[in-house]
Amino acid sequence: MSAHPDEPTDERLIQATLTGDDGAFAALVGRYKSRAFSIAGRFARNDYELDDICQDAFIRVYHNLAKFRGEAPFEHWFSRIVVRTCYDALRKTQRDRKNVSLDGIDIGAEDNVNAERAREVLDFALARLSAEERLAITLLELEEISVRDVAALTGWSESNVKVRAHRARNALKRVLEASHER
Amino acid sequence: MSDNLDKLFKVARAMKRDTSRVEFGFETRLLARLRIERAQAAPWFAFAWKLVPAFAAIAVALGVWNFTGATAVDLPTAIVGNTEDTVLVSYLTGDSQ
Repeated sequence: MSAHPDEPTDERLIQATLTGDDGAFAALVGRYKSRAFSIAGRFARNDYELDDICQDAFIRVYHNLAKFRGEAPFEHWFSRIVVRTCYDALRKTQRDRKNVSLDGIDIGAEDNVNAERAREVLDFALARLSAEERLAITLLELEEISVRDVAALTGWSESNVKVRAHRARNALKRVLEASHER
Repeated sequence: MSDNLDKLFKVARAMKRDTSRVEFGFETRLLARLRIERAQAAPWFAFAWKLVPAFAAIAVALGVWNFTGATAVDLPTAIVGNTEDTVLVSYLTGDSQ
């Protein structure tokens, strides 16, 4: 994300934040919060959880800002922290998520899948995956991020990302089949 | 079933969650949380107990050094002792004159 010519650059905002300027940090947050909400929105179950995940991510950014070396764009470094925070949130809420029920939701075979219903079905199926599988399949299939970039975001190897995504797909198929048979 | 899954992905991809309500006032909430964190930050001496193992290790090392070092040559005493002997011998033999 490039700053408008009149606006301070990310580097300037980071330097100002490090000297204790909260206004600069607020500007940095304002610049990147949409990205955080976009990623975290795929994992959060409701608005409260979404707000919590994004706040946790930005708090981590704030505390680790001095470690940002500027070798890669800030957005990449920041996205890795957001993904890591989402992963931690997924692991923390893993048990609760499995309580999502699919009562009254029929996964029809018709071509026009209702969007809201599709989302409920997918949420139900994704809740059955491990945190690693869910993270991999969500970033690959829903955010349409390449395997290489997912590997960079998660810190996993590319083959690890592929294996987890493959397992996730198989698990999702099994869940959908089982739900369809009911 | 694979088609079904791809169909679900396609629909879910197209669905963008409306986050405008949560985004509203986000910076204000975040900075308020940061200020609370700073205000609650523990003073340095709250972490002093973390130094206990280091101090214990230093105490043990000093004890071991003291115990094993007691039998070793005590340099100042040896120097003073030798000097006294030399002075005494010189005095008795008349070398000092």
